[in-house]
Amino acid sequence: MNNNFSIIGKPTAMIDAAEKTTGAGKYTDDLSVPGMLAGKILHSPYPHARIKRIDTSRAEKLEGVVAVVVGKDAPNPYGILPVGHDEHALAFDKVRYVGDNVACVVAVSEAIAEKAMELVDVEYEVLPAYFDPEESMKAQSDLIHDNKPGNLEKDYHHAFGDPDKGFAEAVHVAEARFIANEVTHAAMEPHSTLASFELDPHTGKLGRLTVWSSTQVPYYLQHKLSLVLEMPMSQIRVIKPLVGGGFGGKSEVIPLEIIAAVAARKAQAPVKITYTREEVFWAHRGRPRTIIDLKTGIKSDGRITSVKARVVQDGGAYCSYGVVTILYSGALLGALYDIPNIQYDGYRVLTNKPACGAMRGHGTVNVRFAFESQLDELAAKAGIDSAEIRQRNLLMPPCITVNGLRVQSYGLPECIEKTVERSGWKRRKGKLPKGRGLGIACSHYVSGAANSIIRSDMPHSTVNIKIDRDGGVVVYTGASEIGQGSDTMTAQVAAEMLGCSLSRVRVIAADTDLTPIDIGSYSSRVTFMAGNATLRAAEDVKKRIAAAAAKKMNCPAEELVFRDDLVFKKGSVPPVVKKDQAEEVEVTQAGASVSGRVEGQILRGSLQQKRKDEGPKEWMTFEEAVVAAIDFHGALTGTGSYAPPQEARGGKHKGAGVGPSPAYSYSAQVAEVSLDEETGEVTVHKVWAAHDCGRALNPVSVEGQIIGSVWMGMGQALTEEMVWKDGMLMNPGMLEYRSPSSVESPEIEPIIVESIDPEGPFGAKECSEGSLAATIPAIANAIYDAVGVRLHESPFTPERVLAALRAKNNSKRLNLTEGVDPTAPARFREHGGSLCFKGKGPERHALDPARREAPAAARGAD
Amino acid sequence: MSLPQFKLLRPRATDEAVSFLAKHAGNVRILAGGTDLIPSMRQKLFEPESVLDLRGITELRGIRPLASGAVEIGALTTLSAIERSAYLRQHFPVLTEGAATVASPVLRNMGTIGGNICLDTRCLWYNQSLTWRKGCGFCIKKDGNLCHVAPGGSKCWAAFSGDTPPALLCLNAEVEIAGPNGARRIALREFYTGDGENYRKLEANELVTRVFLPEASADYRGIYRKLRVRGSIDYPLAGVAVVVKRLNGHVADARLAITAVNPAPLLVQRAGEMLIGKIIDEALADAVGDLAARTAKPLTTSALTPEYRREMIRVFTKRAVLAAARP
Repeated sequence: MNNNFSIIGKPTAMIDAAEKTTGAGKYTDDLSVPGMLAGKILHSPYPHARIKRIDTSRAEKLEGVVAVVVGKDAPNPYGILPVGHDEHALAFDKVRYVGDNVACVVAVSEAIAEKAMELVDVEYEVLPAYFDPEESMKAQSDLIHDNKPGNLEKDYHHAFGDPDKGFAEAVHVAEARFIANEVTHAAMEPHSTLASFELDPHTGKLGRLTVWSSTQVPYYLQHKLSLVLEMPMSQIRVIKPLVGGGFGGKSEVIPLEIIAAVAARKAQAPVKITYTREEVFWAHRGRPRTIIDLKTGIKSDGRITSVKARVVQDGGAYCSYGVVTILYSGALLGALYDIPNIQYDGYRVLTNKPACGAMRGHGTVNVRFAFESQLDELAAKAGIDSAEIRQRNLLMPPCITVNGLRVQSYGLPECIEKTVERSGWKRRKGKLPKGRGLGIACSHYVSGAANSIIRSDMPHSTVNIKIDRDGGVVVYTGASEIGQGSDTMTAQVAAEMLGCSLSRVRVIAADTDLTPIDIGSYSSRVTFMAGNATLRAAEDVKKRIAAAAAKKMNCPAEELVFRDDLVFKKGSVPPVVKKDQAEEVEVTQAGASVSGRVEGQILRGSLQQKRKDEGPKEWMTFEEAVVAAIDFHGALTGTGSYAPPQEARGGKHKGAGVGPSPAYSYSAQVAEVSLDEETGEVTVHKVWAAHDCGRALNPVSVEGQIIGSVWMGMGQALTEEMVWKDGMLMNPGMLEYRSPSSVESPEIEPIIVESIDPEGPFGAKECSEGSLAATIPAIANAIYDAVGVRLHESPFTPERVLAALRAKNNSKRLNLTEGVDPTAPARFREHGGSLCFKGKGPERHALDPARREAPAAARGAD
Repeated sequence: MSLPQFKLLRPRATDEAVSFLAKHAGNVRILAGGTDLIPSMRQKLFEPESVLDLRGITELRGIRPLASGAVEIGALTTLSAIERSAYLRQHFPVLTEGAATVASPVLRNMGTIGGNICLDTRCLWYNQSLTWRKGCGFCIKKDGNLCHVAPGGSKCWAAFSGDTPPALLCLNAEVEIAGPNGARRIALREFYTGDGENYRKLEANELVTRVFLPEASADYRGIYRKLRVRGSIDYPLAGVAVVVKRLNGHVADARLAITAVNPAPLLVQRAGEMLIGKIIDEALADAVGDLAARTAKPLTTSALTPEYRREMIRVFTKRAVLAAARP
């Protein structure tokens, strides 16, 4: 199928791989400008308190301190969502979680700034704090935000079809509570921002601002900086250097990005702030702890008749992406299977903890865990094979789901088929030795949100291309490379469309002074949207080249084919390229040395000379065609942009804007696990993961994304969990927040399914988020297959698994916190239930809900 | 988080180290591998005036088998050197097993046996940044007067989390301690106090210089089993070491020690008595497991619930004993 392409569809090394693997690449924290100062942020020790007084004078007197910034230095509120402008650069009147930002010290060194931080005197009036969302919703006073009664950020109540009628038709109904505990992105690079003002040439005062930041969304950052600093956007330049992973944690404006700019303004000098790992955990914006009360009905043939979900998300102290998250949780119940009736009640609740936000698989993951687990339960009830029940509930695209989502390409059937086949499902399911099992689950995700956060008719991506006289192609894109391969995808798409070699293409990305607007790397939108924009820009410029080349070649422009650095007439056999030239192209494509490339240019140059005075030609080299076009047009440039089509933008109900996408990716996974029934330890042996990415533009990159998604999902399934006690995050570090190490990584067999989307660039869809959500229920279902225990609370830590096993076997009970049964968690617990803190904990307000119950008798484990 | 400022002292010989210690006693921290000290200093758990960097003292590095069959190990010997020592693997396998489970390969290249013996006790309420600890009002081990895991008691329950000491306890190891009055040798079992705060008996002017494995401990079958969430990096959440010597199928001698579930690594005294003279079977292993679990007093100092960790001491002990009985 890929034979018609010369660049895409082939495993291609990332174009920034050399920089990253040799260490030559520069991340934000590697940058330095003359006169740069270090900023350190003072964080709140209380989960909820009013700031009565801040006295910075002692800190300011310390030698080496240049400025101390506080809330009143930047009073404008901001937030990523227009409906959620509830954050300040630094606390304005209140702090709302342990770790909230109170002041920033700017000094000549990090050590001095840290010392000075201890000299900032803050007087707090401690307020009652809320840690449990269900308790928080009952709040009458001391609200986290005054304009949010009942500490409710947002609630939505949707009914599509007739859910009650659907349940009346059902033969089997399952109803249960699921709890997914809180996880965070844990990207390798901690957030870092460097902000520097130039002097205005006319006034001599601070003028333009340049911000280098580890961000997924340079354009949104520029927008929010403009809001807080009261500067026109054109006066702010945001540059995104290399980014060491985002996963959603850098997909909104993070406090340090605003603080660094405000601090640079006050200090009148460049300021860099880099978070410690602990601060990364406080900035958070990860996946909220979620309670899912789920009810599903099926007919005896396994067809789903109705789904009812009540979802409560423990959103933390600020809105962040919360409104979007709670909407995704409901909207993406649709578009995977054919569900005729859906009722959804979603509550995004504020609590005194770091704000949750977008994280890989935004909004879908926890609900998908619940749904795929429950579907498995129902399959067992109805006596239908777990893979089979999924095949019986497929959509029939093209279609529009009951909740208004348009589905066109749909590779789910093939994903299920392939994982079933490769894993030996039919042969092995239910027949493995005791303690070993197989589980299947599916998932999907958007290829970019069809509606932008900032309501406007602006295209979501725009790309410019400029071609130099020697055939060098420069692509200017606002799309943000964060390690996912955005730049490589851009270069591939441009090279494929222009028929030139990849080595000709240089990508200049994510610099708001140079690159046109792209709304960022989130919701898996880049390949689909920025890819389409690149495609269109390349088409645009190609037209100009074709027109000039056609003149030289005496033929209509439409008859020209661009391929392999040549332009030739359609139908003609591509000329035999001089052997040395062909080799040179080969070599550069594989990443040849600079000297090789220069030699090639000289060679091609002389070839050009030689052919200069020959008459009309059957073919031209790419450079010859480019030169012809530049001679004809002057500068050779093209522009393309992409906006999702109106019909993909969703229904009309309140909240319909979230969930729609021009295309959805699909995934099916089979996990094979074994359990140690004495210890409760789960080992994942292998995961077969099929993913429908439309078309794999770069198969090696797609496989990497699938493997990464499975691995990250496995972390949430088995080991990763943020543990809390009275608002204190107990594990704010990579030692105690346990992402799997290479030792636990199972064999993952990625299977690429290509459904060729009608609107994607070359048919491509997303591949980096959709697979994650399937991993957690696939493992849960495999655990059930292995030992007959159905876990309703993630992660499936050894103690939870053992407690569940013992409960099932009626053997000696293993007490978790408050006697919680992980197969039927009833109540939300602040610390997730994996640890039972019997100690007193930190001092808190006497009216704290957490203090109302008499603390458990203080004693040891015996 | 920046490192606090300190003066770096780099002695070339043990005597020099001891005199530095005497001079700066009370305001100096000893650095061997630095894998635990450096992060702790960044968290401002220690802000000493000076750091005594022992790494230049070559005489304290290396594994020396003595003619008698005993072994002398310099305190600065890295954990990876111990893990890779063919001699130790053959004659004192429980120690190589313990050493091989510490942290990750990179950290084992830096971490030393002396550092692992002297490892600071750990607790979720203690191993945190200064800012974090302010938020919880500090704890009894550092800057505060309250224990967050066992209030009511004025005792610190931070857990000793070294992997090699249980193995060394099983081997009846001794440590050499150098001080202003010369060197003294004590049994490792006398080294720990059982209190999380002042967890070892080492004066401010003393340092551990050598470890001795007596010849009588050679050639026992040895097993170390470690509970952790990840197969790498993690400190033990519970650990069991066991050594067994058998004669005609009967246990001639045996010792068992546990770690990470008390403020000190502990020899389970009666385990040996229970095993000696018996043929190890499932029931016996179970009984020893129960005994070990009763010795464990884990509190909420780390991940996983105390109940679970104590339960795992039982399971791991049973498994270790059975494994040690296999031919």
